[in-house]
Amino acid sequence: MEIEDLITPAHVVARLKATSKKQVLQELAKRAAELTGLHERAVFDVLLERERLGTTGVGNGIAIPHGKLPEMKTLFGLFARLEESVDFDSIDEQPVDLIFLLLAPEGAGADHLKALARVSRLLRDRGVCEKLRGTDQPEALYALLTDSTASNAA
Amino acid sequence: MDVVNQLIFLGGGLAVISILATRLSARLGAPLLLIFLVLGMLAGEDGIGGLHFSNFRLTFAVGSVALAIILFEGGLKMPRDVARLVGPPAFTLATLGVLITAAIVALAAVWFGGRTPQEGLLVGAVLASTDAAAVFMLLHGKGQAINRRVTGTLEMESGINDPVAVLLTLICIELVGHPDLSVGWFVLKEFLLELVGGVVFGIGGGLALRVMLERLTLSLGLYPVLAAASVLTVFAGANLAGGSGFLAVYLMGVMLASAPHRAQQVIGRFLDGLAWLAQITMFLLLGLLVTPSALVADLGFALAIAFGLIFIARPVAVYLCLTPFRFDWREKGYIAWVGLRGAVPIFLASIPILAGLPNAQSYFNVAFVTVLASLLIQGWTASRAGRFFGLEVPDQPHDEDYPDLGLGAAGTRELCGIRIGARARALTLDYNKLPLPEGSHLLSVIRGNHPLDHFTGKRPAIADYVIALAPAEDIINLQRLFGERQQDKVAELVGFGEFVFAADTPARDLALLYGLPVDSLGKRDGEVFQPIWDETLGDLLHQRLGKTLVVGDRLELGDVELVVREIKDGRVSSVGLELETRRKHVQAIRLVDWLLRQTGMRP
Repeated sequence: MEIEDLITPAHVVARLKATSKKQVLQELAKRAAELTGLHERAVFDVLLERERLGTTGVGNGIAIPHGKLPEMKTLFGLFARLEESVDFDSIDEQPVDLIFLLLAPEGAGADHLKALARVSRLLRDRGVCEKLRGTDQPEALYALLTDSTASNAA
Repeated sequence: MDVVNQLIFLGGGLAVISILATRLSARLGAPLLLIFLVLGMLAGEDGIGGLHFSNFRLTFAVGSVALAIILFEGGLKMPRDVARLVGPPAFTLATLGVLITAAIVALAAVWFGGRTPQEGLLVGAVLASTDAAAVFMLLHGKGQAINRRVTGTLEMESGINDPVAVLLTLICIELVGHPDLSVGWFVLKEFLLELVGGVVFGIGGGLALRVMLERLTLSLGLYPVLAAASVLTVFAGANLAGGSGFLAVYLMGVMLASAPHRAQQVIGRFLDGLAWLAQITMFLLLGLLVTPSALVADLGFALAIAFGLIFIARPVAVYLCLTPFRFDWREKGYIAWVGLRGAVPIFLASIPILAGLPNAQSYFNVAFVTVLASLLIQGWTASRAGRFFGLEVPDQPHDEDYPDLGLGAAGTRELCGIRIGARARALTLDYNKLPLPEGSHLLSVIRGNHPLDHFTGKRPAIADYVIALAPAEDIINLQRLFGERQQDKVAELVGFGEFVFAADTPARDLALLYGLPVDSLGKRDGEVFQPIWDETLGDLLHQRLGKTLVVGDRLELGDVELVVREIKDGRVSSVGLELETRRKHVQAIRLVDWLLRQTGMRP
């Protein structure tokens, strides 16, 4: 499972504007709906439900909101870099500014886990995160996200 | 007068150098005690200092006092719940474990060194105890936090096994001196007397000290002095009465820590400093005492004993003692490896010299080489061993980490001051928008030398000094927010769960979302299989692991793992979901897997 399998350059939002966690999720749901043809509301509900179980803010300014939707056909990823960091109830209580959204079909058991693990491993790399914070060009962000695949495919 | 001043100058100077050298330890990663010992050797007769010092009697006296202080402080620092968690295994290791270790070392001494069985047993007894000092310092040193079951066992073991080793050494000395002695009755009587005396003096002394601290109104500075003086009194009193003074002072520390009293903090701080001084003094003195050039004579034998101890005796003892107690093999591996020897063996090895046994110098040489080898090999690799065995857990807040403003009157919350570090996360948000832990309040912000007016609407700046009121356990979260970025270790720890859930989350919700193997979950009650549907994650962990849980315990579920992130009142309160099982991360597991595959035991 590689990052390229999850996102295309069109799935990168370089400067997302939001002032709260809820607004971030709404914005993400909107973009995801535009790209997949899903209902914005359905996506938002799934994400919110997942956040109710426990935050997906994994620390160091990173969040990986995710969920399963019966209407999905394949795994769907979306990367967003926030213009200004927001409080995400993260496990380390840090505000979040880098977000990787992952939506999976209802039946995607192992693939869903593999994709989540892959994204989490990518964003655990401090160097990658510093670089992602350092640019607001979508192409550059996409290159950074997928570039590190080779070096990080341990 | 000049001689006196020279002595004071030397003593003070060596202590100052030792303390400065602690910075070196942090940089080199070398165990601190090793540095003190080497400094003592450098100052000694074969080193650049050229000091001649061979007063075993003085060393024994100073060592006794130092060890009493160190053991008392170890007892003070032992958290109450740890004794409940690891009491029986630690006790087994400290008693049976000491005997097994001594016996195996004795075999090696008879085998390689041609010693008589009695002499061999004396070598074993001298080396059998892990050193509370070396272990405490290693574990309380910043840097790394390890699973509490493991650290608790090591700390408690090293606190209790010193009295046992002292006792065994004294008995062996009698045996070597009088080979015709009838062993049975003498040993039993001696053992019971030491044990009972130690327990009575320890508990009595602890209670008496607690009553004094509660009833007496003294100048604040006198409380810790009273405590230290009481420790020495109880220590020597127990010894004079034939009991174990070391056991007594350790128990005294445990007793004093078991109930809160008003002088707790000031005694804790003072004893912490005093224990440091005791460490430095003891190791410097032992380093001075040894004559490195004389070690050569016994070097081959000593190295054989050291390796036998580290690689055979300790692992065998740990394996045999801990197997009944549901320890994971990785936990046993770590405990076996981090059974450090410190000052105690060298200290005990000076007793044969004082007792005038034949060939007494060789015990001392063997002990010295073994301790040196242990500090070098085990001490230096201890933090790597934690990672190797995959036992690291997120660092818990230490009270040394933030300046305590000394206003204990703020209810359950504490005042703390934190300076904003470079690249701190807080720098990106205004003060009033920061995600503060619940119950925390910022009271004031000092910029330059002045309190900032109306700081709430302003943006934090590097070097701002933030004064906050926060629940003690949340101070570490404030530090993560304001302190330098590298402080946040939680998220860095690979294999501690990508996502976090409260323990009362229904297991069903996770099972559905992540496709966990639900069919295999549940408990069999006779013929009836109850699936997990209504269980919470906490119940699941408690039931399936079936032991008192500590942070870092984990349960493998298909492709993922649940890991205990937080314990409150003995129950899991927070659970991490690790997306990849640890087979991928933990070197020890990978190594074993590889070995199994190589030997064809696993396809």
